[in-house]
Amino acid sequence: MASGSESLQKPISKAVQGRQARRREEELLVWPDLVFIEFISALLFMLTLTILSILINAPLQDRANPSHTPNPSKAPWYFLNLQELLLHMHPAIAGVLVPTIAVGALMAIPYLDNTREGEGKWWASPRAKINAKVGAFVGFFGTLLLILFNESKHVWLFEKATTLQWPSALNWLKNTRAIQTEIPWPESIRSISIGEKLFKTELLGLPPINLVLDIPKLLVEQIIPMTTMIGLPIILAVVAGKMNIAQTKRDYAILIFSAFMATWLMLTISGTALRGAGMELMWPWNVKPPVT
Amino acid sequence: MTIEKPAKPSLEERIYNYVMNGRVVKSIIRSGYPNTPRNQMLMVATNVFLHLHPTRINRTHVKITHTFCLGGLSFFMFLGLTITGVLLMFYYVPSVERAYEDMQAIQSTVRFGFLMRNLHRWMAHSMVLLVFMHMMRVFYTGSYKPPREFNWVVGVLLLVLTLLLSFTGYLLPWDELAFWAITVGTQMVGSAPLFGEANRFILIGGYEVGANALIRFYTLHVIGLPLITTVFMAVHFWRIRRDGGLAKPL
Repeated sequence: MASGSESLQKPISKAVQGRQARRREEELLVWPDLVFIEFISALLFMLTLTILSILINAPLQDRANPSHTPNPSKAPWYFLNLQELLLHMHPAIAGVLVPTIAVGALMAIPYLDNTREGEGKWWASPRAKINAKVGAFVGFFGTLLLILFNESKHVWLFEKATTLQWPSALNWLKNTRAIQTEIPWPESIRSISIGEKLFKTELLGLPPINLVLDIPKLLVEQIIPMTTMIGLPIILAVVAGKMNIAQTKRDYAILIFSAFMATWLMLTISGTALRGAGMELMWPWNVKPPVT
Repeated sequence: MTIEKPAKPSLEERIYNYVMNGRVVKSIIRSGYPNTPRNQMLMVATNVFLHLHPTRINRTHVKITHTFCLGGLSFFMFLGLTITGVLLMFYYVPSVERAYEDMQAIQSTVRFGFLMRNLHRWMAHSMVLLVFMHMMRVFYTGSYKPPREFNWVVGVLLLVLTLLLSFTGYLLPWDELAFWAITVGTQMVGSAPLFGEANRFILIGGYEVGANALIRFYTLHVIGLPLITTVFMAVHFWRIRRDGGLAKPL
């Protein structure tokens, strides 16, 4: 009996244990204090958007014509980050795997960082701001550098700075795709038939599955991008940990989340403002509306 | 000893009392005009719309720089999009033959049609931005911490739903921009290693964006996704209160 009543008195969880009694003097009445602010902010938004709507018309181009592809054809702006990724890797990774993992990772944040550090206040933990800044900086400019590398801008810079030709021995370093095209890979690993070995379809009386493995292509389109996207955040976290910038779970959460959001922002900017006809990289002022 | 007689109420006071404590106003606002703390709390607690709020709130949470009203404004955008969307539905028919002509009519001949369409567009963009910013606010204020883990998950789902709502609406004008944006966007779905082509076929009702895609996106945009979003929003708001309101500093 005694143990039963004890267990009843036990707090349900640490979260409840840590909760403090509400202090009345710290509280305000929702009506009018909060309702007023909500009303004013809604009014301001309505007013701004109405003025915007009177001044700027939503675009309405020519009637859709399936036989006529505009150049470039772009997705809505909030998916241009994925379209930018699509230029650098296998479409299944950029279009499906990355968004799926991103959404899953976002959902997992509270379960990975399950401490109560930094709760309920902006930049509450002592290292919150530095982690956000480092993460955002590395994410933003790291992504920019990767995009520039894949567009061979380091070659352009080298040739501009030294007035020399890019050494042909280093042709495979021009961009990621060059690893596939510029290295004399043996023909035997360019097409490995694995369909018949992997799937014994003849046992089911079905035709053989024609699955051909191209190792250099696989390397460039899948292995290198996946390694980059998984490896660079890990390196960032390890370095930040070694430098004592990140110490707690909350620090790491801020670091990686900030890096991710900055990466996403950079990809969106690049896909929106830096990609013109043929999805070529160019200065924003050279990006013209699509030619139809 | 003289007994002080109460002053005779002035005409204004009598009119005020008659209106504010009269049967009509009392029948709408039972607690009476919210001019005392008691009535103010009752006003919030007994009103179906306002009772999403608690009656009292922590002083720091009222500061505009704590939340920037981002979550509330996202909801406000959803309401505004519903109203402008319903008005647009009066004029818009989701068929390949009529969709584009209807858009032109809305933009040029329907009275205030351009305003409804432009507002709908700007609010949709704003909502995507606001939901993103709301997520960042919740993250940097550490408001996803226990016991609020699940509400964060619901919030991420609402972000995805917001993007899908915006994306399905993108096709409806049936102009070049809409058609090719959806073609490019759904090609990403088709590139999935497993069932990619099958999912794309289900989504656009064929191998190419056409009449079937238009009616599917329209149905999802005006009823399917808003219903799902409403359910998740109800859970989201309910859980804010159940999890103890906005996160407080330790």
